[in-house]
Amino acid sequence: MSTIPYRHKMAAHCESGAVTSLLNNAGLDITEPLVFGISSGIFFGYFHKMKSFAFPTFIVRNEPGSIRNNLSKRLGIKFHTEKFHTPDEGMDRLDELLEKNIPVAVQVDFFYMDYLPEWERVHINVHFIVVVGKAGSKYIVSDSYFPNLVELESASLRKARFAGGSMSPKGFLFYPEYIPKEIDYKKAILKGTKKACFNMLRIPLPFIGIKGIRLFAKKVVEWPAFARDTEHLSHEIMKINILLEDQGTGGAGFRFMYATFLQQASAILDKPEWSGLSKEMMEIGDGWREISLFASRIGKNRELGPDRLKELGSMLMERAEVEERFFRRLKNSI
Amino acid sequence: MKEKDGYIDCPQQQVILYVEKEDGKYEPIQTGSYITKNFLDDYELKRRHLEESLKKKVQSGEVSPIYYYMVLEDLTLSELSARAGMRKGKVKKHLESAHFNAIPQEILKLYADVFNITVPDMLKLLMTTTDDSVNTNTGS
Repeated sequence: MSTIPYRHKMAAHCESGAVTSLLNNAGLDITEPLVFGISSGIFFGYFHKMKSFAFPTFIVRNEPGSIRNNLSKRLGIKFHTEKFHTPDEGMDRLDELLEKNIPVAVQVDFFYMDYLPEWERVHINVHFIVVVGKAGSKYIVSDSYFPNLVELESASLRKARFAGGSMSPKGFLFYPEYIPKEIDYKKAILKGTKKACFNMLRIPLPFIGIKGIRLFAKKVVEWPAFARDTEHLSHEIMKINILLEDQGTGGAGFRFMYATFLQQASAILDKPEWSGLSKEMMEIGDGWREISLFASRIGKNRELGPDRLKELGSMLMERAEVEERFFRRLKNSI
Repeated sequence: MKEKDGYIDCPQQQVILYVEKEDGKYEPIQTGSYITKNFLDDYELKRRHLEESLKKKVQSGEVSPIYYYMVLEDLTLSELSARAGMRKGKVKKHLESAHFNAIPQEILKLYADVFNITVPDMLKLLMTTTDDSVNTNTGS
């Protein structure tokens, strides 16, 4: 089997990147920020205690799978999706699709992507890559987080697609099977933005949206109680930087990419006020970036006493305030 | 963020960052990871300390090699039991050194697959050695 001709491009995020890349390769000219914005990707959730996480953590994007689902609903694009009962079935089906020259996105546990450096890889079952070919025992993979097409051992891909645990992929794969000739971007942008505002402002759960940022701000001072020792606490505090900057966000916990979406949307909708909102979101992102840098600095210097953590909490609280004002204005502008 | 502030020289880990270009347009650039560029040595130091302290616990009979890898790979008991396909109570027992020797090879293999190591990698931890470096990513 050979490699399907495929234009690989790095992207900010794995799911919006995989979806954008599949659509671009299928002939649809759409950007990653538009995919992200239309699918209401911007989000916040804080989890102080959860069975599947060893330490408190947070998320800055909507539920895995939502990017594809929301985009599909709002643009009328149909994705073919499949899950499998056994690894054999799942791997055979992938081979069959590659034989037909169909590039296929698969959901995997990030930990088994052994072309990435060891320090980047963690067990998380919601990474998305596009498989574009097979050579011997290796698959050819387009991963948004890697600069080039890269090889992955068949055994690693099999493990990654059929890892158990929270949000187990069960071999999940997808590819676009229908793209409408005419797409109403305006309606989709407005709908996606409206839903994003709802997610940030109105979900009645104390750990989601703006309320989630506030909870994070209050609870971060309690993090030392979860840590084995100072080095563990330092590692977890520095992970704030990784979650906001490195784990596929385009910088500042997706805020820079969302600003880009608003700028592109402003032109499509001919809404000059969104250009101002886009600028404001970029500045909000700068504030998140400061939090990332502060967290990595205090972690490295082991300055992890109550005062520093309170300072971190205040910075987060300030983000909650500015984002609440921002999303209210955005909602009123729709 | 302005484009000029976005570039970080870190070829080991490349990322996409959305920045403001000179003409005011927001666009992606390919750049390096800030934290990897500046603090990878600190990550490696903490990782080494964690490996050493866990290894001591394994060798003193406080915990089993399964506990060692569970902590190192940041997995919870629930997550490990779901990934290995075993009841939580059973996995909890396997985390104790006293029960480790009674675990059959095929069960050890289930854990090794989750950790992406080999069964001998796991058993090697029980041997006292002067070499403290442990490779957790040897593949199986």
